[in-house]
Amino acid sequence: MGGVLAQLAGGFVDVFAPMNFLALTVGLLLGLLVAVLPGLTLVMGVVLALPFTYNMDVTAAIILLTAMYVSGTYAGAWTSILFRVPGEPIDVPLLWDGYSMARKGEAAKALGWTLVAAGFGGLAAATVMVLLAHPVARIALTFSTPEYFSIIFFGLASVASLGGGSLVNALISLFAGLLIATVGVDDTYGAERFTFGVRILSDGIDYLVVMVGAFGLGEVFTRMEHRFKSVPLQSVDKVSTRLPTLGEAAAIKGTFARGTLLGIVIGLVPGAGATVASFLSYGVEAQYGRRKDLMGTGIPEGIVAPQTAATSSVGGAMIPLITMGIPGSGATAIILGAFLLHGLQPGPQVFETSSHIVYAVFASIFVGVIGMCLIGYFAARYLVRVLEFPEVIVSAYVVMCCILGAFAARNNLTDVWLIVVFGVAGYLFERFRFPIAPLVLGVILGPIAETNFMTTMISFGNDWTIFFTRPISGTIMALAVITLVYPILRHLRRRRRLAAT
Amino acid sequence: MFLLRIVPYLLAGSFAGFLYHSATQIEFHRRGSTLGPDFWPKLLLGLLIAACLYEIGRIVLFRGRRGGASGVLQDLVEESTATRGGDFVATEARSPWRLVAGIALTTLYVWLIRDLGFFLATLAYVFAFIALGGYRRWGVNAAVSLIGTALMMFFFMKVVYVSLPIGIGPFAQFTFWLMQVMGIR
Repeated sequence: MGGVLAQLAGGFVDVFAPMNFLALTVGLLLGLLVAVLPGLTLVMGVVLALPFTYNMDVTAAIILLTAMYVSGTYAGAWTSILFRVPGEPIDVPLLWDGYSMARKGEAAKALGWTLVAAGFGGLAAATVMVLLAHPVARIALTFSTPEYFSIIFFGLASVASLGGGSLVNALISLFAGLLIATVGVDDTYGAERFTFGVRILSDGIDYLVVMVGAFGLGEVFTRMEHRFKSVPLQSVDKVSTRLPTLGEAAAIKGTFARGTLLGIVIGLVPGAGATVASFLSYGVEAQYGRRKDLMGTGIPEGIVAPQTAATSSVGGAMIPLITMGIPGSGATAIILGAFLLHGLQPGPQVFETSSHIVYAVFASIFVGVIGMCLIGYFAARYLVRVLEFPEVIVSAYVVMCCILGAFAARNNLTDVWLIVVFGVAGYLFERFRFPIAPLVLGVILGPIAETNFMTTMISFGNDWTIFFTRPISGTIMALAVITLVYPILRHLRRRRRLAAT
Repeated sequence: MFLLRIVPYLLAGSFAGFLYHSATQIEFHRRGSTLGPDFWPKLLLGLLIAACLYEIGRIVLFRGRRGGASGVLQDLVEESTATRGGDFVATEARSPWRLVAGIALTTLYVWLIRDLGFFLATLAYVFAFIALGGYRRWGVNAAVSLIGTALMMFFFMKVVYVSLPIGIGPFAQFTFWLMQVMGIR
């Protein structure tokens, strides 16, 4: 424990180094802006920021992206509360009580609750992350390929079954993503797969290209079809934040605790992210909270529950990323990309090889949460003005950043063609209601899943039951099966209930 | 009309079938009884085809009237928005021609960037994109396109050291002149 604290203290010193602190501040501001703009999602923002970090020091690059991830879960609440415009899908639950509270003339108070919830959730999750990371990494060191495969299988199962849209569409999207990951030369045999004689395809399709295309360009095409609407803002100058008193906050301490815990747990599950955490936490509060009957009428519990969960999911999601090298969400996948671009492989060994970087990133989350709250308190009224900026101009630069990002990774125009292809594919996926997240996570986790699956098959004589007979992998596989079957059971139960009524 | 809903699954399933055929042609030297490099893609393609067939069967069997199982988040969103309102999905009218023009413009940009060079191609693209998006303040559009493109070029070439396309012939001469003005070597 003493060692962890000493390393964390070292991390704090690193964070306040001028370049790292600058990266943190820029990351926080960018994350807040991205979250405010309805045309830009948090993941898209982090994707677009990645090429700007190519030439940065690894610590500063990861700090910038992580800061964006943290603050991106917070600022969308402002526009939900003030203008009934959720900046992110994460912020939809904040419409129900946040906007209702604002309509009662207590917008400043609603913003205050959001700030306290984000601050508390973020700091609590960061503390849990620091405490858990080392023990989890130590356990992960004992894992073999069946365990790694089962964890990835669980992540893929949960991204399909916890997400939005039809389960079959999510599975189709996931299989498509896993297939894209098979393009190129196979690691074990050196055989070419699905390259069709195109030389650059032998190197495979970079997941960043798929992400930038499907998330970035695809979203721009979708918004272009919807004619880029800007939001008319009223009374922005009156925006202010009024913090709740300690007594008021203590009165709903259960909501703070439930939201934070749920956020961390959801964040830990690969595939589930801040949006699931936010909705689920609101749902739990509406079902089991002390004032469940008043939910939706503008009570603090309806703001605190989703906001604490959304921000605390960041700390949870960082644990599998750092300790096992498994990204649990779109944003952590890009952070993993940044690690790899700088020649650093997250995983259990990272605490031995690059612990100063890991602890600097951990410390930056603490400082980032505090910084985000300070910026939110003093600058919310100025930052929401970005909504007045014409969306079409923002989108034009989003496309430019997408193209530059794809080009800069390998200095190859074929990658730029590929992002246009994946941009159109992303649009079509959205148009026909195939979720994009499983596609992207499939591309990211596909190579790790295949390598671990094939290695297991080679090591255990093609005995696939090994995934179910080893205690840890068996338990995780059982969880994955439950995760996959749960939506089907829920659907059948609902249909039976409907038939009965 | 419900039959139209099977089109995406039919296309995806057929394409998966074609890829499955390609997977059977993968060349490699099998080592004993170990699984080959074709196993994993064939497994995925099999699952993909099965999922498409299931969905096609479900649509045809229930004549598109019954929805299938959905993800937990979808259920949460549907239940919450039904009782509390606040749907996040945009419901404005669609403009398909604008979309097609946007995709065509982006394709044209990628096509021309090698010949025109990054600066000229991007400047023209950003200006045309903003105009296509319905923004009619031409002066602001021109200024935003010019300043933004120049800043991007400066940042990526001078700070991140990315060698952006410079173009060919006179366009390359122009890019070299611009690089000189910006102090990029």
